[in-house]
Order: sequence, then C-alpha cells, then structure tokens
Amino acid sequence: MLISSNWLNRYVDLGGQSPEDVRDALTMSTAEVEKITTFGAGLEDLVIGHVLTREKHPDADKLSVCTVDIGAGGEPLQIVCGASNVAADQRVVVIQPGQALPDGTKIKQGKIRGQVSMGMICSESELGLSEEHDGIIVLDKDYSAGVEFSRVVSFLDHVLEIDNKSINHRPDLWGHYGIARELAAILNLELQEYGRPVEFPASGEALDVSIEDLAACPRYTGLCIGGVKATRSPDWLRYLLHAVGQRSINLLVDLTNFVMLDLGQPMHAFDRRRLRSDVVVRRAKAGETMTTLDEMSRDLTEEDLLITSGGEPVALAGIMGGQGSMVDDETTELFLESATFHAATVRRTSVRLGLRTDSSARFEKTLDPANAELGIHRFVGMLQDLCPGAAPSGPLADPAQWRYEPVIIRLRKARLDLKLGIQVPDQQVRSILESLEFEVRDADDGFDVTVPSMRASKDIGIEDDLIEEIGRMFRYDNIPEVPLSSIVAVPHRDEELNLARDLSRAAALELSANEVYNYSFQPDALLEAVGARELEYTIVGNPVAPEICRMRRHVLPSLLSCLGANLRNYQSVRLFEVGKGYHPESRDQDGLAHEVSELAIAFAQRGGSDYSVLRTGLVSLLKRQGFAVELDELMGHTDLPWIHPGMTVALTSGAEVVGYVGTLHPQIARNLDLPRGVAIANLDLRQLLRVGRKEHKFVEVSRFPTQPVDVALMVPTGVQVKTCANFLREVGRKLVMNVQLFEAYRGAELPEGVKSLNFTVTLGATDRTLDSKDEEKYLSKVRERCGEVQAELRG
Amino acid sequence: MEKRRQEWLQAIESAADEAALKQVDSMLFGKKGAIQDLVKSVSSLPAEERPAAGKAYNQLKVELAKVLDDRREVLAQEQMQRDLAAPDFDPTEPGPARMRGTLHPISVVQNELVDLFTSLGFTWQDGPEIESEFYNFEALNIPDDHPARATQDTFWNTDGTLLRTHTSPVQVRAMRRFGAPLKVIAPGRCFRQEAVDASHEHTFYQMEGLVVDKGVSTANLIHTMKTCLRVILRREDIHVRLRPGFFPFVEPGFELDVNCAFCEGRGCKVCKQSGWIEILPCGMVHPKVLEAGGIDPEEYTGFAFGMGLQRVVMLRYGINDIRYFMGGDLRFLEQFDEVS
Repeated sequence: MLISSNWLNRYVDLGGQSPEDVRDALTMSTAEVEKITTFGAGLEDLVIGHVLTREKHPDADKLSVCTVDIGAGGEPLQIVCGASNVAADQRVVVIQPGQALPDGTKIKQGKIRGQVSMGMICSESELGLSEEHDGIIVLDKDYSAGVEFSRVVSFLDHVLEIDNKSINHRPDLWGHYGIARELAAILNLELQEYGRPVEFPASGEALDVSIEDLAACPRYTGLCIGGVKATRSPDWLRYLLHAVGQRSINLLVDLTNFVMLDLGQPMHAFDRRRLRSDVVVRRAKAGETMTTLDEMSRDLTEEDLLITSGGEPVALAGIMGGQGSMVDDETTELFLESATFHAATVRRTSVRLGLRTDSSARFEKTLDPANAELGIHRFVGMLQDLCPGAAPSGPLADPAQWRYEPVIIRLRKARLDLKLGIQVPDQQVRSILESLEFEVRDADDGFDVTVPSMRASKDIGIEDDLIEEIGRMFRYDNIPEVPLSSIVAVPHRDEELNLARDLSRAAALELSANEVYNYSFQPDALLEAVGARELEYTIVGNPVAPEICRMRRHVLPSLLSCLGANLRNYQSVRLFEVGKGYHPESRDQDGLAHEVSELAIAFAQRGGSDYSVLRTGLVSLLKRQGFAVELDELMGHTDLPWIHPGMTVALTSGAEVVGYVGTLHPQIARNLDLPRGVAIANLDLRQLLRVGRKEHKFVEVSRFPTQPVDVALMVPTGVQVKTCANFLREVGRKLVMNVQLFEAYRGAELPEGVKSLNFTVTLGATDRTLDSKDEEKYLSKVRERCGEVQAELRG
Repeated sequence: MEKRRQEWLQAIESAADEAALKQVDSMLFGKKGAIQDLVKSVSSLPAEERPAAGKAYNQLKVELAKVLDDRREVLAQEQMQRDLAAPDFDPTEPGPARMRGTLHPISVVQNELVDLFTSLGFTWQDGPEIESEFYNFEALNIPDDHPARATQDTFWNTDGTLLRTHTSPVQVRAMRRFGAPLKVIAPGRCFRQEAVDASHEHTFYQMEGLVVDKGVSTANLIHTMKTCLRVILRREDIHVRLRPGFFPFVEPGFELDVNCAFCEGRGCKVCKQSGWIEILPCGMVHPKVLEAGGIDPEEYTGFAFGMGLQRVVMLRYGINDIRYFMGGDLRFLEQFDEVS
C-alpha cells in the first residue's frame, strides 16, 4: 500500500521527521516500509511561463507556435505545442532545453516541422502528476512568469510503500488515518481527531434498506444526497490520489476512494435515480447473473452476497458495483453506501470470480463496523466543502443497529515479562496502550485492557496480542539476548533422515556422483516416455501447467530427465537424488498418500556402459553403512517400467527387496534419446532400515601367510558367478579364506555360448603356513569336481 | 679358478641395476648357486687338498659377498642421486583426472544447520510433503477464512490433500509426538503455486525450528537466532534487527533482519538499499498452536522460526538466480564441492 506523507500530515505533524525517520519508525514498530519515492521529483526547477502569442503552425494543422515569457527578464521562448487547449495569455508550465521529464526524457532545442522549439509546454501526464494527457496544465492568471511551479502548486510528496503482507492482520492500517495513529503513538506526537460529524436531516428521502443475512453483512449504512455534480476534482485531491496510485475519475468517485484510502472503509456511490425505493442485502440465487462496472457479465451462486434494488442486483457486495447503477456526468442525486461485509464471504466470491478490487482486499481483512458510519460523515463533510449545494436529502439508513460491545482483556504483568524476557515498567505499559487508544485499568495481577473497536474486529483477541503491542512499541531490538537454559535430554534421532544424509554423502564421495534436486511433479511427457503414465498418482488440482500435475511415485525418472542435457556438456554424467515418492494407493490415518524416501542414482556415458561400476560402488557404499545386501535375483514385476527386465538386479535382504541396480530399458533410453547402457539404481530407505544393519564382528587376523591361487573356470553362459564361487569355496572347505572374481571373460577364442570366470581364491589356515602341496591338492579337487557346476578348469 | 673369480667379479661390477645385481647374487649365493657348488665339490677332493681348498673357497666367498655389498651400495647411492635430481618433475602437471561427486548446495547448508542445531540438543525431524489441511493450516491458527490462506497460493490435490506450503506443520506434529519440553528443527521441501522466475520458485526449502519449555522468552529467541546466523553465514559481525512481522501461528511475530554483508550497511542492490537483509521470520508460539500440539500454553511458552534455505545459500555464494537450484545443470552443481 502506498502512503503519502502529505496525507499523513493532515492528521499528525511530521514536520520534524525525515521520510527515513518515518520509514524506520513504522518498520521497527508497525509494518515494513519497502521503499520511499518522491512524488513530483525532478519537477522542482520547472517554471511558470506566460504564453504571449499563439499562432497556428504554418505546416501542421494540429500544432501551435507560441512565444512564452519565462520571466527573469530574458527573451521570450518560441515553443511548438501540440495541445489543443493552448491559447494566448495562459499561465503554463514550461520545461526548457537541458531539463528532463520524470520519465527521463531529455528536452532538447530542436525544430518541429521546420519551426524552432525551445522547450515544451507540459501536461500533467508528462510531469507524472496524473494520467491527464489531453491538454496542457493551465494555471491561474495570478501567477507570474518565472516563478517555480512547485512553489505555487503543492504536489511534492514523499510516498512510502508498505509491504501489504505485514498489515494483512491489521484492518485499521489500510488507510492513512490508521498509519497516522501508529506514528503518533511511536513518535509521541499528537493525533488530530478524525473529521467532524455531519448533521443529517431527521426526515426526508431515505431508501428502505434491509439486510437478510446479518452474519454476511453486520452493518449497512446508506444516505441519499442531492445537489451533487460529478465534476473534476480539485488539483490537490487529484495529485494526492495519483501519488498513492489511484486514478482520478470525477469528484464523486474520487471522494469514495479518498475515504477508502483515508479510513480504510470502502464505499460505493450509486446514482440514486437508477435505484428503486428499496435496498436489500441478500444472497444471490443460483443461476442469477449481473453485469459489473467492468462490463463483465457474472454468473452468481448462492454463496455470493448482493446489494439489490427492486429485486435486481445493483452491486456485488464489497467487490464491485453494477453497470446499471453507477454514477456518471449526469448524476445529480446519490445513494451512498458504507457497509461492513463478512470477510470470508467477500473473499470467496472475489476468488471464484477472479475479481480482486481495492474494496474486496479491504473487506477481506474484517473491517470495523464503526467505520461504516464514520466514512459517511467524512464523505459528506468533504463533499460539502468541494461541491457547494450538495446536501443529504434524508436520514441515514442503518438498519443493523450495530453497537460495539467492548472487549476487555486481562494482561498479567508476569506473563508479559515472561514472554518478552524483560521487565517493562507499569507506567510504560500503560502509556503504550493508551497511545494506541486502549483503555487501561489496574487489576490485581496486571491490567484490564479495553480494546478499541478498530482493533477488536480482527487482530486483538487475547492477552498475547496485547503483549505484542507492548513489545513492538517498546521496540523488540531493545530486548537483550539471553541464552536458552538447556534441556538436558538426548534428542530423539530420526534414523531415516540420518540415513538419507549419510547415503548422500557416500554417493558424492564414494560414487563420485553429483546430487541434483528435481521437482516432485513429473510432466506427463516424461511419464509417457518412461512408460509410467497409466499408474496411479496424486494429482495436483491447480498445477503450474496442466501437463505437470502428477506427483512422482519414484525419483528415478526425474533423474533420467536431467541426463540428456548434461551429456551435451560432459562425456560422463553421474547423478543422484534423495527424494520422496508418493503412493496414493496406500494412505495413513490422516488420509495422506504414503511417502517413500528414495535414493536414486543414474550413470550415463556417451557410448559406454557403467553398470558394473555402479553396482560395485553401491554394494561397497551399503556395506560401509552396515547393510549387507544380496544381489542374486533379477528385479521382479513392479511398477518400474523403465528397468531393463533382463539386466536389473534386486537388492535383497532375506525376503525383502530394498532396491535395485541395473540398466535402463533400451526402449526407454530410445524414448529419452539417451545412450545405450545407462546404469540406474534405487534404494528404498525405509525398507533398508527395516531389514537393519549388520553388526561388525572382529575376525582374528591369521599369523600365517595366505596364498592366492588363480582359478579359471570355463562355463556355459547361463551359469552364474555365485554358483561357481560357492563351488570353489566349498571344495576347499576351511582352507578357502576368500573367493574373488577378477574377470568374466567372453572372448572370440572361446567357443560360442561359453565364458571364462577367472577367480582369485585365497587359501590359508589359522594354524600353519600352507605349502605347495595344499595348492596342488586344492586344484586337483577343483578339476575333479568342477563338472558339478558344468565347468571345466582352464590351464 | 682365478678365471672364474674374474668372471664373477666382472658380473658383479657390470650389474647395471638392483635387479641385475640380484640375479648375480642368486647365481652366486642361491641354494643352487656357484658358491654352493664349490663348497660341495670340496668333499670330492682328496683329503689332503680339502683344508686348503676349503680355506680358499671361503676367502673367495667372503670377498665376493663384500664386492656384492659394495656394488649394492653404489647402485643404491646412484639411484638416490637420480631420485633427488628429479630432472623432469613439473610441479604443474596434475595427476590423472578424476570424477568428483558433490552435494547440492542446499544440502550442504542444510547439513551445517542440522549439525549446529543437533549439537545444541535439537531433534531433527521431517513431516510429510503431502499434508492435510488440518496440519498445514488449522492447527497453525490459520482458519478457513483467514487471509493468510489466500496469500499462500496453495497447491491443492484432487483428493483434498495439499502440498505443504511451509515446514510449520512439523511444529504440531512434533509437539504431539514428543510433548514438552521440546527442541526441534525440520528442514524440508515446500511448495507454493507461483510462476517461476529469477527470484521465485514454486518448490523451495525451509527450515523450521521450534523450542518449547517453561519460561522461554523473546530474549532467548534473539540469542538463538544470532548464534544460528553467525554459524550459517560464517560471519562474526552479525547485527540483527527484530521488527514486527505477522504470521498467524506466532504471537508476537517478528521479522529478523541481518546487517547486509555486501555493502556493510550502506545500502546496495542485495539489501534493497536498506542495509538490512530479511532472513528469518520468527515469533513466540501462539497459544492456540501449543494447544493444537497438546501443550498447555499457561505452563509452557516457546518460540519458532523458519528460514528460507535457498535464500541463505544465495546469500552465501552470491547466486543470482533461484532457478539454478532445481535446474539439474551439472555446470552449476559441480561448483559446490564442500561435502558436509
């Protein structure tokens, strides 16, 4: 929200404060001021010119050639002007060569259609004072040439931009008066009373106002006003409104906006003649429609609140008026509405229709019904000043009979001191609250505090709210820092979070992989490409884009989607991500989709395959974390269509599957335009924790040397390494300390369908040094029995 | 005999390196070496010749052993001189290239925060990313018609659940699970429905913090936050500014600003000319939130804070575009090779 210093000065004398002082005062005690701008900045040097002559431009119909006296005894300037309202003997605003407009345009001496022009005669919009660009500014003839424009018209203003988020809970701060009240309290200044009450006639014309739903409309005040004219507003009002971003329309509309920006109370001015004799506040009927001021036809529901007259909707309550009843140049009689509408009702309709207005934004904050009446008085008071002849034509309609029931809250001194961590003197508590218009009475353990109505509608409801008032006026940065007295307890350790962290670190260090973060949404195109589009997903109803609405079941496809782009920059790419997969088919007691924490890994290399590197790395990484998994079986049927069905190994522990490591399905690789043999792996962290870690046990170190023996077994390709390794272990009984495959050879010199598995078998004994006979004996046994595993001993 | 001696001495002297010398050594002194043969041959000599032959052979053995040792020493010295000379050592020549893994910069900072707070006795928790309306809003004193709901641009799922808009739901979950007293942090992923640009992301990371105990005050909050910022921004010159901020689940609520390190308070682009950087929304836990967590607000008070992790990371490394974080581009990711 934009706040004008000139406007604030109507209520509190900020003469002694710089704009920065005001900003800091508000920021530290009330609401964040994001920016200060100067309205009218750069116009300080412009002077008033006296148009001496005006001739039609010889070569252009719409241009005039003027001579303008700019005082200081100099020669008059010749200026070419395009405005239709320029005339001789006017006082105008002149910008001279070398000066610049607020938008940065530098004015230069030049020729326009052959005529020399020594500057420009300005319109308001060129000077940024309003949006008016139809004609130049024409000033009163009393002003003499050469006088600074800013000296005769007071438009210069400092405008504070307040962060709306920081006042969402403070309906009283959505107008200048509320901000002025805060500043008076913070800076210890005097606050002017708000306007003067206006006398309304006891009888005369009044509409029959009724409210069908008091919960939706706690107060509705309305007044008929005659003798009005929708003239142009005076300059000071137009500039003031423009300074805070409000377009000037005509006096009647401008005054409703003035009150809204002044008090925070939105109002609506109807043309009296376009209403019937009644005004009813009621819910819309299903199927009812109305056309709002913006000429849009709106389909209504029973949730929407309407202002109707003669049965027909004339306004969408608190949001926007109707097209048929608005004021225009012809208007002579007004029906002025100043009401209080229920916040959520206004919000729901405004959200549903996508129609947010300055008015709805304020009603959403829960306004103080006292302001409804206050606003009417303010409007009428100002109208009578600016539009002589205008007068209320009857009594104020106010059928709700709303009256403020004072809210009284006990503020305990002990709790105040405890929550703030300081001792605030009683006198200070009292003066702070009173400066904010609270009433304070002593109570045995503190104070009884009466909340003023403008604070009671929304933000002050409990004792802690009062503590905030004291704290912010005391200024929080006057509170000293005090260390927590420690809670002596071992904190609960969440194993899954710690495992996720440990695995990430291991993946970075041990697998040399780079961690990526991907969105939890997977685009339909990706799911299509990985063959998983038809699975069950949690669907976001209002996604960032319609085709990105599915919440991922698994992290891996997200990883696949970042390989391609990176392979353009790198020969080899190793990525991992720890993230959640969401499984809506199983839900917890709160109805939330089951979330699975996964570590997904993908290795890709231009032209090559990385499966075995990933496999070895993963097994070692798991072993280091204490998990002993087996890799014996192919990954079974699952919801993982992207795995290569014949080349993906399940990571198991007993009957439990904790993950897989393997190769990307070749079709999926083609779909995603990835190289062959992308290695992929996934771990389910909760499953891992479920099967648990293996305890490390110390094994006696043999004092005797061990003896490595190389054994090469030729086997048909279907025979597994594990079968052969087990065989080699079993044959040697206790003498076999370790069996390690160092190569699985499939060479051209081997017969078709045969591979050579080359092992290093480590022989040893705990009680003696082996000799050559042990090795010979072992090898002859292997030779003798290797038929059991369809093998032949090579060499 | 003398001819063979000369041959052997020659062999020793001409051995060009340790390996060649070793061969000569085993040819002479091995189990089946020449010396052994000589010793054996003594027994086949006539008895009267044996003592002299034995003596001569022994002398020869001692002599050869010494020459061998001398030669070994010479070779070792030569080798050492060569090693020391380092004729083609290039200090700029790197070892073989190696792939280097990295953690995501948000993980790096998150881990540091976790270490800091767990060392202060905080429990590290997380909650579901798909949340219920109750935990995300109601339990946090954000009732149905509260304007904060409108400003939070929530992603709603078709099944009535939502994507959590902050990590604050963990506050109530943790209170219900552990009761008071309690110190907990909960870093994690959050979501808000907004268009992505250089400074906005619909997916972002927050770290929630909550302390509940008897007598916890705003003064404690200030101290804890300053400690945290010192560690995480790696600066000792931390000045903070605590000013009012509004969040429905705290009362009073604060915005905590830290003095801008980029301009030292003079005002710059990063701090929007104010000299201060808004970094930590926080506050004293609202009594209604304590109640929702099953804790008596008359007996206990607490404070809570929430930190935008992306923002901290951006400040620390000077990253100018928030889209990098979820972009999956290795050219960005590989720059952060701290592993915490």
